[in-house]
Amino acid sequence: MKSQVLRPPVFTALATLVFLASCSVVQQGAGVLAETGQISESDRQAIVKTSQAVRQTFADITEEEEYYIGRSVAALILARYPVYENDALTKYVNTVGQAVVFSSDRPETYAGYHFLILDTEEVNAMAAPGGFVFITKGLLKRCQNEEMLAAVLAHEIGHVCAKHGLQSIKKSRLIDAFRIIGTEAAQRYGSEELAQLTSIFEDVLGDIVEKLIERGYDRKFEHEADALAVKFAASTGYSPQGMTAFLETLVGDASAVSGKGWFKTHPTPESRLERVHKDIASLKRLPEAESVRTQRFKQSVGDLK
Amino acid sequence: MKRRVPLLILISLLVVFIGLLLAETLIIKVQSTNLRKNPKFYAPVVQALSAGERVEKISSQEGWVQVRTSSGATGWLHSSAVEVQKFSLLALDKSMKTQASASEVALAGKGFNKQVEESYRAKHGELSFAWVDKMLQIKIPGAQIEDFMKKGKLGEFGGGR
Repeated sequence: MKSQVLRPPVFTALATLVFLASCSVVQQGAGVLAETGQISESDRQAIVKTSQAVRQTFADITEEEEYYIGRSVAALILARYPVYENDALTKYVNTVGQAVVFSSDRPETYAGYHFLILDTEEVNAMAAPGGFVFITKGLLKRCQNEEMLAAVLAHEIGHVCAKHGLQSIKKSRLIDAFRIIGTEAAQRYGSEELAQLTSIFEDVLGDIVEKLIERGYDRKFEHEADALAVKFAASTGYSPQGMTAFLETLVGDASAVSGKGWFKTHPTPESRLERVHKDIASLKRLPEAESVRTQRFKQSVGDLK
Repeated sequence: MKRRVPLLILISLLVVFIGLLLAETLIIKVQSTNLRKNPKFYAPVVQALSAGERVEKISSQEGWVQVRTSSGATGWLHSSAVEVQKFSLLALDKSMKTQASASEVALAGKGFNKQVEESYRAKHGELSFAWVDKMLQIKIPGAQIEDFMKKGKLGEFGGGR
């Protein structure tokens, strides 16, 4: 430390630091006062309680709650689609997925990201809250290289990062749930609270499944997931052209008329392409496709029937 | 210069004191995670950590935080695995423990939890969670992902950030 640091601005900075520190010790201070008997335990709890925000929105859902919601949403998806059991292929999809997860905005969730292939020709991919990601065999067959697969997985990872599933829950349900959870002091719920909470839980799952499978998310969520997909894929080192190449396979597709899977729940590929081109144009670095990746993709996915 | 020395010591002490006051305690918010030697997911593991454990923040860098555990080990955690501890913000706390207090467990473990899932499943006996549990068992070791990225020229081995 040199003598220049003794100038007035430094003292001001130090004073500011002392002030900031004193703000951060309110809760700790309350604990000390309670321990020394200067304030009662209930006073201490009141102080601690008021210094915490009351839960109100989807953003206040804890990681563990998100995990439990995600588990049941995943079970509901798996009730509609059989699993395509192929260990080697599942491992490959999970490895590509994890590589993208590492470069995402939210690589850690309560129980991590896991990827499963659904045994259907329908072209679809879905993600339940917390990181349960599903991709159909039909969609895998559409992909021609690892860049395209990474882009689709990155889109689903984007939904998880931005908590689009949780944002689909009606606010009134959360307010009801938070009220019951907040007033019930015991570690385990009594039968009445549990029945109420279970009923709200069912409605919460209904809200998410309706968007995920039936009607699709709001368009802005899909475009946001596309933008995140471009960002995450490029950060991982994949060419963001994987996203445009995949969307191009959907343009003018006959199954779009039948309106199943992604065709039903996503905006038109044309409108997505338009925005994705802009997202790509804003990237600072554009990684290019590598033949070594296409080779291993063909080895893993090539013989899919 | 001589007269300034005590003042410098005083200021140094003040800075250290403030540093301690500001030392941020973080709490692990995911089920389990690994403290790593370097700020990357496939770096060697220093120590395994689980939900509710507390660590002290030392520094941060591009989405990662360098922390010290209660046992004194230091390493890196991704910021998405931790949140700022709400109850005791001071690392000075002599009772800095690795288990969350009962009130924290109650707060963290409540809401939509295992008990609610069990109640929901009891009402919907036809719904199977077998594949959900199997899915959770799919884990690719960090070393395999590193190898995959290396061979595929991804991340630091190629065109990634």
